[in-house]
Amino acid sequence: MKKLIQLNVNGDSHEIAVSPETSLLNALRGELDLIGPKKGCDSGGCGCCSVHVDGEVVYSCMMYAAAAQGKRITTVEGIGKPDDLHPVQQAFIDAGAVQCGYCTSGMMMAAKQLLDTTPNPDEATIRHAIAGNLCRCTGYSKIVDAIKLAASRL
Amino acid sequence: MSVIGQSVTRPDALDKVTGGKGYPVNFDLPGMLHAKMLRSPYPHAKIRSIDTSAVEKLPGVKAVLTHADVPDRKFTPVYFVPTDTKSMPQDMLIMSDHVRFAGQPVAAVAATTADIADQAAELIEVEYEELPAVFDPEEAMQPGAPKLHDYSENNIAVAPVMEFGDIEQGFAEADQIFEGTYTTQRVHTCYLEPRVCVAEYDGTGGYTINSSQQHLFGLREKLADVLEIPHSKVTVIKPPYIGGGFGGKLDIGFIEPIAALLSKKTGKPVRMEQSRYEDMITTTRNPIKVYLKTGVKKDGTMTARYGHSILDTGAHATHGAEVINVHGFALLASYGCMNAKWEGKTVHTNNMIGGGYRGYGAPQAMFAVESQNDEICEALGLDSIEFRRKNTRRSGQPHPLVPMLKIDSYAMDEVLDQGAEAIGWANRKEANSDAGTVKRGRGMALFPFWVSGCVGFPDIYEHSGAIVKLNGDGTADVATAAMDIGSGQTTALLQIAAEELGVPMEAMRMVQNSDTTTVPFDAPTHASRVTYSAGLAIQAASNSAKQRVKEVAGIMLEANPEDLDVADGIVSVKGSPDKSVSVADVASRADSPFIQVGPEGPAPTTLEEKGTIIGMSSQAPPSNPSPIAAGFVDVAVDTDTGEVTVERVVYSHDLGKVINPNAAEGQVEGGFQQGMGMALMEHIQFDPDSGTCLTGDFLDYKIPTAVEMPADIESVFIESNEPTGPFGAKSMSEACCVVPAPAIANAIYNATGARIKDLPITPEKVLAALGKL
Repeated sequence: MKKLIQLNVNGDSHEIAVSPETSLLNALRGELDLIGPKKGCDSGGCGCCSVHVDGEVVYSCMMYAAAAQGKRITTVEGIGKPDDLHPVQQAFIDAGAVQCGYCTSGMMMAAKQLLDTTPNPDEATIRHAIAGNLCRCTGYSKIVDAIKLAASRL
Repeated sequence: MSVIGQSVTRPDALDKVTGGKGYPVNFDLPGMLHAKMLRSPYPHAKIRSIDTSAVEKLPGVKAVLTHADVPDRKFTPVYFVPTDTKSMPQDMLIMSDHVRFAGQPVAAVAATTADIADQAAELIEVEYEELPAVFDPEEAMQPGAPKLHDYSENNIAVAPVMEFGDIEQGFAEADQIFEGTYTTQRVHTCYLEPRVCVAEYDGTGGYTINSSQQHLFGLREKLADVLEIPHSKVTVIKPPYIGGGFGGKLDIGFIEPIAALLSKKTGKPVRMEQSRYEDMITTTRNPIKVYLKTGVKKDGTMTARYGHSILDTGAHATHGAEVINVHGFALLASYGCMNAKWEGKTVHTNNMIGGGYRGYGAPQAMFAVESQNDEICEALGLDSIEFRRKNTRRSGQPHPLVPMLKIDSYAMDEVLDQGAEAIGWANRKEANSDAGTVKRGRGMALFPFWVSGCVGFPDIYEHSGAIVKLNGDGTADVATAAMDIGSGQTTALLQIAAEELGVPMEAMRMVQNSDTTTVPFDAPTHASRVTYSAGLAIQAASNSAKQRVKEVAGIMLEANPEDLDVADGIVSVKGSPDKSVSVADVASRADSPFIQVGPEGPAPTTLEEKGTIIGMSSQAPPSNPSPIAAGFVDVAVDTDTGEVTVERVVYSHDLGKVINPNAAEGQVEGGFQQGMGMALMEHIQFDPDSGTCLTGDFLDYKIPTAVEMPADIESVFIESNEPTGPFGAKSMSEACCVVPAPAIANAIYNATGARIKDLPITPEKVLAALGKL
């Protein structure tokens, strides 16, 4: 049986009807048309669906939408726009950190949370911060470069 | 050159960092239904009956499909060959009453939501008659083993043999003979965007489909053929990009024909998206067991080589029937030994089917070849690099795949020497010379001969086409069927077009909305072919447009077109740079009304100037130039835990000409991750009794994360300037995935003195090799 819930996403409040078992990822993509978070495994293994919930990185496939009520949810759409990019987004472009791009949304959310809390992270800290986000294209080198570049600009 | 060789920004990067709209997974149509499959829990069974009556009555369920509803048309799903090719077996059906692997689709349900479809599929009642199953290819070849297909005697789908020179004489001339058996495991491409499609029936016998695929026209041909309709009745939409492929989306899946048939049955568009578990059991790199024997003179000259390879192709032949040939080529012909013989066997088992994966048989071959080459060097006291230099081909020799061609650009010495210099090969220690618990070692592997496409391989498509159209503002739109699967094909192709046209990169745009009705045929994005082969087609179309620019500009400037240069968007008279006109003015003049009305009144132009400036091409490439790749690695082996850490990588590669340095490095770094995963950790495993996949998600199937990956990966690019290539370029993107496993195995030997010939090299295998388990 579906129930109405309130979700606060990227600063907007939305009322949507979801089943108790609906994941936050499916609510974001299916109900709110926020296609930035990606479904890569739906089992908490790849990080493509990463969003921020109250400032923490969360795998949105592993959280019930109903459990996200009353919390501040941020997706990649909420951190910058094509004509007003967040420094992390700009750095991912400039460093060549984007290939197929399917991991990019989640990877940037992990990177942003790191930089929100750790201004000048070293290489090992960066690598551990994105260890929950898989990429199959880049070997991570240019992603790490991008995060260092973003850190230098923030 | 102003655009070639520059790390220009990918045109798709902005969209991808702001959400990424272009993926097939986002494709949505009004009224769309969602479909799910019921898959067999048994690896080998006959279906006695299927009862769908209860499911069909469930609210939200719109249609159910079983084997009784699909065409009885056998096919090979492989995109790059004609459906009725004589070179590969056609042994698959969309659905069948004969189950040959655990996970084979048995039925499918279309419903208003994916959840309803999923729940409904599980309620379908199927009565199976279990049959004896076989999972080991060598057991499958024994008399009395369960038989999978009528056509494959002893379950052998194909058994190619390759032979040249005089192998008996070669072995007789050898001072020493080396032999060994090397095994590789089943690994998955792990593209992150799942296989997904949306199919829509048009009510008059035709279908439109959007799918995450590596070959627009391959999907058109295969879907039309398996549905037994003319090719033109299928329209395949070209997504701007897909979320990774690596060879894993190089064949029609079960989802595309099933979604199409469900759409026909319901009159609604039908979407199917695979779960990660379903992706994990859809296609993989085929495991191959290689026996390799080499005769060598004391000075390191190879006199003979013999190989025997057994490939587990699983329930259906599919790619396994071609992977074996390419594997044999890499095993036998990548080096220059002229007395050689190889026998391959592609064997059916009740395992999941194999598929394409970056390197296509070469990673399995080169693990054996490069491991044994190092064993030879170790035994004879030869330097690894000099041994390889001695036994490889040289520029000017006949091309091993296309004997009427000669090898042209081929910078073997530079690849070996510059790679060795960068890693510090001269400082490599003797094997097992570290004292402590953690032992360090340095290793290398060479991949001396590979392809830039499929010229020379029988029955494989290899041509490309493009349309280049100029706009009045000096920009140009390029349309091609070449798929960007993530590695930056669109960027490289636009760079080639910009350079050839003589306009800035910013003026170039890839057409975002195209399909098989609007773009010319292109072979798949596979076989390291796009930059070379599709690049040549783009260059030809751009050149054709540029000739027309010069003709119109010649009229405007009252100059001979042959005396004109086009660069940075300006057409100028050679030697008189002040006599010029912009490409924008030329294109706009060509597109203008015949009589232009200016401030001074009507002014007729000429007929010769009129007509949108376009260039088109559809062509096959003239050659198949070989890249050369050498990988060098430093590893640390913890001899207490067996853990191997890769600390440093140097990758040296002759790619003819670097189109985009940043993107080229990205290929190397990503290729190394996949190769290292195969070397050390990745392994698709099945329950030995039930045949069920035990590694169905990323929690059980581990790929390298940013923590395991080395921070220090150096790319050394050798520009040998391939004369047939676009601006001198040839290929790169598979070789970097081939060399890591043997280089790491050789470095582990150098660190510990333990030679491990069975991938992946897990801590358990390291400890066992050290006598600690």
